[in-house]
Amino acid sequence: MNAVPRVVIVLATTLAVAGVTPATGATYLVDDGASAPQESTALLRWRQPAPSRSNDNSLLGAMAVVVRLNLAPWINHSGRVFLALPEQGTTAVKVSWTTLGRLLPGALTPGNRTLVFAGPITTPILEETLTLQIEADGSRLPGTQRLKFHFEIDVD
Amino acid sequence: MLVACAPAAHAFTVNIAAATPKAIYLQVGVGTFTGGNYNSGGAPGTNTTINTVSVTVPAAAVGTGAAQAMTTNSASGTSFYDGFAFCNLPSQLYIGGFYRQTGANTGSATATVTATSPVNLTNAGGNTIPFTQISWTSSGNSDTGAQPFPAGTFVGGTQTIGTINRNQWAESCHTFSYANTSFRAAGTYTGRVTYTLSAP
Repeated sequence: MNAVPRVVIVLATTLAVAGVTPATGATYLVDDGASAPQESTALLRWRQPAPSRSNDNSLLGAMAVVVRLNLAPWINHSGRVFLALPEQGTTAVKVSWTTLGRLLPGALTPGNRTLVFAGPITTPILEETLTLQIEADGSRLPGTQRLKFHFEIDVD
Repeated sequence: MLVACAPAAHAFTVNIAAATPKAIYLQVGVGTFTGGNYNSGGAPGTNTTINTVSVTVPAAAVGTGAAQAMTTNSASGTSFYDGFAFCNLPSQLYIGGFYRQTGANTGSATATVTATSPVNLTNAGGNTIPFTQISWTSSGNSDTGAQPFPAGTFVGGTQTIGTINRNQWAESCHTFSYANTSFRAAGTYTGRVTYTLSAP
């Protein structure tokens, strides 16, 4: 009769260690499930309406994203938070952003991550507005492309 | 405990798309760019002017077979690309445009310029001159190599004038001439050619 409850408890403990309990010297994904882009699609416009001799086929656009980072698992720890953009496998893009000051401004290309916060975690929820500036290669952009960002933290 | 261990959301997604995935511009004769040439931020506009190309054949030369050079009333010899003095007025007529198109699967796509001319030029008395009597050569100041809109002769119908590759600007200067191979009744003969740029 007691076998099943013991299995559940052991399983739950394992998950907690692997994904929630803060540890040091490791990288964790940050829950930003409450983040929300303010538009469904960023409409990009040609940097130059006509083609150029320099073959500039760049498309430019902007979008604001309200990000809400759940840092509760690392409160009272120090860490470095990064914004990451995994390889998208389609159009070459460059993303830069400005902030309201709670996170650092920066720039990013697919396959990389950029530091947006470093220091002690003093609040369980960090909310910030990122204004993304997006540049894409118009000669390769399909109808719509999805850029899937995530935040990760290196706990000191 | 199971609820607490459900996967948390670890990503936000931004969709990107081109606001104007396709744009084309064609200028034959005069055109309009607002805000300067495009390389200084100008944007293409609409110009409804219909330019003329004409020649007055001296009486002694009518029907001799000596080709007669034609001239245009177009005041546009510079390229809106960058303001370069590309065509020589009044002997040359500017023809140029661009084709913008996004997408990785349209690399070989081209936009096509066609011209539609009537069978004949006509005068007030009902006399005619076949449009096939009018030809053009193609060049451009400082240009080398093949012209995007090469030399040709009107066919009295619809014909291809040239193509513009995707995400390119193309321009040429056309110098028209009247073949003058047959004697014609005196008068002013007119006909309109309509140029069309089509993109897939």
